[in-house]
Amino acid sequence: MQPILKIDLTSGKSEPWQIPPDWQKQYLGGASLAARILYDSLTPELDPFSPESPLLYLTGPLTGTLGPSVGRFVVCGKSPLTRIWAESNCGGFWGPELRFAGYDGLWITGKSEKPVYLWLNEDKLEIRDATSLWGMETYDTRDAVRVELGNPGAKVLLIGPSGENGVLYAGMYCDHGRSAGRTGLGAVMGSKNLKAIAVRGVKKPPLVEPDRYAVARSRANRELKEDNQAEVLHELGTSGVADYSEYIGAMPIKYYHRGSFPEVDKISGSTMTDTILTGRSACHGCVIACGRVVQLNGNGRQKGPEYETLEIFGPNLLFSDLQKIVQLGDLCDRYGFDTISAGNTIGLAFHLFEKGIIAEKDTDGLTLNWGNGEVIEKLVHKIGKQEGVGVLLGNGSREFARHFGAESEAVQVNGLEVACHDPRGSSGMALTYATSPRGACHNQSDYFFVDWGHDQPELGIETFDRHGGKEKSANVAIHQNWRTVNNALVMCVLAVVPPETTLELVNAACGWELTLPELLSAGERGFNLKRAINNRLGLTSANDRLPKTLLEPVPDGNSAGFVPDFPAMLEAYYQARGWDPVSGKPSAERLDELGIPEIARDLWK
Amino acid sequence: MAPEFPSLEWMQALQTKINHDEHYAEVAKNWEGDVLIIVDPQGKVKEQQNFYFGLWHGKCTSVSMNVDLTTSKPGFILRAPFDNYNAILTGKLDPMAAMMTNKLHVKGSMAYMMRNVPTVLDFVRCAKEVTGENI
Repeated sequence: MQPILKIDLTSGKSEPWQIPPDWQKQYLGGASLAARILYDSLTPELDPFSPESPLLYLTGPLTGTLGPSVGRFVVCGKSPLTRIWAESNCGGFWGPELRFAGYDGLWITGKSEKPVYLWLNEDKLEIRDATSLWGMETYDTRDAVRVELGNPGAKVLLIGPSGENGVLYAGMYCDHGRSAGRTGLGAVMGSKNLKAIAVRGVKKPPLVEPDRYAVARSRANRELKEDNQAEVLHELGTSGVADYSEYIGAMPIKYYHRGSFPEVDKISGSTMTDTILTGRSACHGCVIACGRVVQLNGNGRQKGPEYETLEIFGPNLLFSDLQKIVQLGDLCDRYGFDTISAGNTIGLAFHLFEKGIIAEKDTDGLTLNWGNGEVIEKLVHKIGKQEGVGVLLGNGSREFARHFGAESEAVQVNGLEVACHDPRGSSGMALTYATSPRGACHNQSDYFFVDWGHDQPELGIETFDRHGGKEKSANVAIHQNWRTVNNALVMCVLAVVPPETTLELVNAACGWELTLPELLSAGERGFNLKRAINNRLGLTSANDRLPKTLLEPVPDGNSAGFVPDFPAMLEAYYQARGWDPVSGKPSAERLDELGIPEIARDLWK
Repeated sequence: MAPEFPSLEWMQALQTKINHDEHYAEVAKNWEGDVLIIVDPQGKVKEQQNFYFGLWHGKCTSVSMNVDLTTSKPGFILRAPFDNYNAILTGKLDPMAAMMTNKLHVKGSMAYMMRNVPTVLDFVRCAKEVTGENI
């Protein structure tokens, strides 16, 4: 592996740091390796906004190699939103460029006295003044950095104004609107007075067996081009699933209180394709190109929304104006905050308003009536500018609800807002949300695809009834383990790559001869390590919960009347995991079996 | 006795079923697109066979077997080996699962297909009911 560049923004000093070789094989890279590197520093006392708070940007062993959808990186640390483990991965071109510059990661601590940005040009690092960039929106920042550097090819990762002013779900952005949106690490970057990181490099990422890798890479990309799911993603984007998700009652509607949205066709990926789509965009080396380029009312071309943005500002708010949703997503990107957390928290505000728990006096005089696009836009601006009720909304749904004495109304788990796949339509998502190491996240296991029929028998992942119960608990655990492999390689979860092909890519890139069970075990190791971090941060089995709303049936749609048998599912899940039912910790025996006795000793001391 | 799949009799029975099925008529009332089903050789099927269904507004307007693939222009092409159709038509394989796992390849407008998933699923239901266990 290439070294990680450690940078202390307080002193301005930097030095390469070599990853211990045994850690690479145990954790592969990406989020799992980051968890091991940061294990000691993520303490309960650590303030995410303190100078000591780390930000670790890591790539994976396949990043930048033109393999199947592997042009990604992940950023990890302690979340200011959830106060637990934080990871958020991002496509685009920045991750590959970092490897081209000769580094597999950046490990940033400290705090600059004034706004700065980093310029990593090959192996030369400069810390440059960013005073003129402070307060600038994301796309303008990208362009301004490139102009100032005189390097239009520089890849720039940056924060928007909301990362500077402490919106707890501020993200990081690069290229054509690609984002590491979730868990608020953009706000941590802002707390360090770090506006952007520009990178340029020309090195080839290391491959131990390049000829062997080329064969596997070529086959994987060829298979991906023939894949039905990839075809849908290419033609329709991730929002191509909107119609089906609504049809089976797996789409959150009216802040998770309804199960049917007859107007779904107005905002679906199909309609976007038929009306405003003018092009597609891809991350580095990706043959899918799920990114949308759209044009509104004769204006310039811009990024179109992916499924989560479209859903959370659409059916979630009973809003069906596609063009307005495009604009809302664009606004969030320009301010630099996560659309899922923002749309979810706005949905909560509408819900509390309807219930009479909040009123105009709490909303700067706004009447929060469902489906009102003008009101939604005003709230987005208020979050971005941190004005009025926007300050509270910018703290996320848990804190917003807590402020009004209605914490149980917030559809979140451990502080992270639930994403757009309702467990009452795909019951496996109940466990996914409840046990994800970063809160209610759909990227630690997009289990809804399994519930829709995407089995992986090579891994032991079967498909059960989408309204099934505890029989699928062990299955969910395996799927989480596999997705932890994805997030360690930092391989896009949208790419359907056969596990044996992924194994061959890893072995060829690293010069290993891992077996598939060993690769899957690396995923389980990473998942349990993140769990151990969260246990040390205070999480117990009591935190493995679902919000009450998701345990109440919706009245309409094709999942009406159903709620997952969550207690039985969770009990079976704990058994499959080998977790202690009271403390919620992975058992010492299980950690020993996974080859991390040092974590077992620390966790159970 | 249910007709055997794949055969001309099966295709004609499915046409009759579709044209007398009230649920399909309602679900597919806006559907506009012919469907070509290609069965690749496997098991008892020794040579590739195809089945062309003219589908329009909830009705099956025409059927043809083994059409010229170079000149026919269906809206959608479904293609799989015999065993996979067998699994779908006998209820062992969910049609959405078949598509997601590439056991059933789909060509055509994905926008139209995803917008009309209920129609696709109901077409499969009709096919299953016609086929029964006689496969």
